[in-house]
Amino acid sequence: MTANQPLILALPKGRILKAITPILKRAGIELEDDFFNESSRRLQFHTNQADLEVIRVRSFDTATFLAFGAAHLAIAGSDVLMEFDHPEIYAPVDLNVGHCRLAVAEPAELAAKENPQHWSHLRIATKYPNVTRRHFAARGVQAECIKLNGAMELAPGLGLCRRIVDLVETGSTLKANGLVEVEQIAAVSARLAVNRAALKTRPGPVKDLVDRIGEAALAA
Amino acid sequence: MSHPDSESELTKRALLPAGLRDVLPLDAAHEAAVIEALLARCASHGYERVKPPLVEFETSLFAGPGAAMSDSTFRLMDPVSQKMMGVRADMTVQIARIATTRLKQEPRPLRLCYAGEVLRVSANQLSPERQLVQVGAELLGGDSVAADAEPVLLAVEALRSIGVTDLSVDLTAPRVIPILLAGSDLPADTLRSLRMAIDRKHTAEVRRLAGDLAPVLTQLMDAAGSWQDALGELSDIELPEAARAAIDRVAAIARSVAEIEPDLAMTIDPVENRGFEYYTGFGFSLFARGVRGELGRGGRYQVDGGDGIGSTGFTLYMETVLRALPDPTRPERLYLPSGTAVDQARALREQGWITIAALDKDPDPALEASRLGCTHILKDGAPVAL
Repeated sequence: MTANQPLILALPKGRILKAITPILKRAGIELEDDFFNESSRRLQFHTNQADLEVIRVRSFDTATFLAFGAAHLAIAGSDVLMEFDHPEIYAPVDLNVGHCRLAVAEPAELAAKENPQHWSHLRIATKYPNVTRRHFAARGVQAECIKLNGAMELAPGLGLCRRIVDLVETGSTLKANGLVEVEQIAAVSARLAVNRAALKTRPGPVKDLVDRIGEAALAA
Repeated sequence: MSHPDSESELTKRALLPAGLRDVLPLDAAHEAAVIEALLARCASHGYERVKPPLVEFETSLFAGPGAAMSDSTFRLMDPVSQKMMGVRADMTVQIARIATTRLKQEPRPLRLCYAGEVLRVSANQLSPERQLVQVGAELLGGDSVAADAEPVLLAVEALRSIGVTDLSVDLTAPRVIPILLAGSDLPADTLRSLRMAIDRKHTAEVRRLAGDLAPVLTQLMDAAGSWQDALGELSDIELPEAARAAIDRVAAIARSVAEIEPDLAMTIDPVENRGFEYYTGFGFSLFARGVRGELGRGGRYQVDGGDGIGSTGFTLYMETVLRALPDPTRPERLYLPSGTAVDQARALREQGWITIAALDKDPDPALEASRLGCTHILKDGAPVAL
C-alpha cells in the first residue's frame, strides 16, 4: 500500500527544536531552509534524503502522530511521551538535550506551612493530567486535575487552584509568580521515539536512522 | 404511535454508546466474506470451527491466561445462578476451556478455529472500538517446533488469501526477560522501572538501572531486527540456560517458517513482552507495512488445568485486517422491470446476477434502475449495462 513511501519524522515546534537541529545535522540530515521559516505555512518538508521527510507539529502532538503511525519517528520531550504513554511507541534514544524537570509547585507561603505527607486530595492545574494523576495515585493521593494549555503559573495567584504541575527549566517563571518547587516528578530530556509497527515492518531503514541519530547525540 | 418523532428525537436515537457502531451495507457483507475466507483457509488445514457463548462465568473466563482480560471485561450478574458472568473480551481462553473439558477425549493435537465478537470496557483514542471481531485458530496439544510454526504459517497464508500484502511477522521470546530478571537481586522498585524501560526500548535507561544485567539486556535489545541478523547476534550472547533455550526455540521456529516461506519479511525481538505476559513459549505479531497497529498476534501458552497441554495459535483483529484491505466496491446489480417472468429472474440469479425486482409498474425503468444503484437493466430478455 504505502510500501515505498518515505519515512516521516515528526519534530516539535518550540523549546526542543533549536537543540536538536545540530544533532540531526551531525547525523547527516539536512532540513530544507523553509523548515526554519516561521512564517511558512507548509507543515511537511523534504530533507537531503529522498526517503526521509519531516513534519513540524506542536510538541504535544508528536506522540499522537507517532502512536497512530502518521509519523514513523518523532523527537519529543520525555514529558510528552510520559503523558501519552502508549504501547505503540518505543523511545530508544535519549538525545541528552532539552533538559528540564516536571515538578509540583505551589505558593511559597503555602509551602512554608504545610507537610506534603498529609496530602490526601489535591486540585492541580496542569498540562499533564495523566502523569499527575499517576504520580499522586502511586503515593495514595487523589489528584483532581484542571487541564490548562499554558500559563499554569497564573493559576495559584488567581485562585484557580493552589498547586500546579509543570515543566521547570530554570525556575525563574515560578519565582516571578511567587511559586516554589516542592516535589520533582521526573527529569525531562528530548527523546527519539519510534512507532512500533514501523520498526517491525521496516527494520532496516528505521534502525539505521535510530543508530545514526543516537550516535550524533552521543557525539555532542 | 400517536406522534411522529421529531427530527431531534430521531437524531438522538442514532447516537450509540462510545466505541459501538452500525456496520452498513457493503462493509457488513465485506466483513462477513473476509471472515468466511479466513475460516475457510483454517478449515482447509483441518482446523474445525467451534462457537463458544458470548457470556460465561467469570471463574472460567479469567482462568490462567484469561486473567489478563479481567480489567477490560464487562460483567453482569446471572439472576439464575446468582454468580458473576463476564462478556468475553477475548476468545482464546474459551477455546482452551472447550479443548480441556468437552473435547478432552479427542485425539491430540486438536485443531480448532473460531470467529466472533468480543466486548471491551476500555477504549482509547488509538483504538476507540469496544466491540471487536476476532478470527483465530488454536493447535492444542503439540509440543514440537512444527506445532509452533504451523499457526504462524497458517495466519500468513490466510491473510495473503484475502489480499493482504507486505506482511511482516515479528517473533518474540516473552520468557527471556522474566527469566533474566528473576535471577537478579535488584530492588523491586528498580525492577519495575527497568521493566518499563525495556518495554519502551530505552537503552540508556536500561544501562543505568540494570546493574550487572546491563550488558546482556542491551545486547538483547540491540539484537532485535530482521531475523537473519538477529539470529547471528543472539547466538553470541551469553545467557542462562533457560533463556538460551527460549531463544533457541525462537530461532528454530524462524528457520522452519523461513524454509516454507522464504520471501516472508520476518523480524525477531527477544525483549518484546507487553501483552505477551501469559505466554509460556514464543509469541508473534503480524504487521502489514503502512497499516496502523497489529493485524493479529499469537504464540504458545500453557492451558490451565486438565491435562495441562500446550497450545499454539493466533488471533486476528478484524478492525486492523480490514484496514489493510481496499474498500469494498458495490457488486453489479441487475434491475428487473415490472413484468419480468419469475422463471427468467430465477435463471438470471442462478447465473450469478444480483437482481433488484420492480415492485410496482414503473413508467421509466432506466431511471428507476439508476435511482436504486443498479449497474444493469434487463432489456429484451438480456442484461444491458446502464
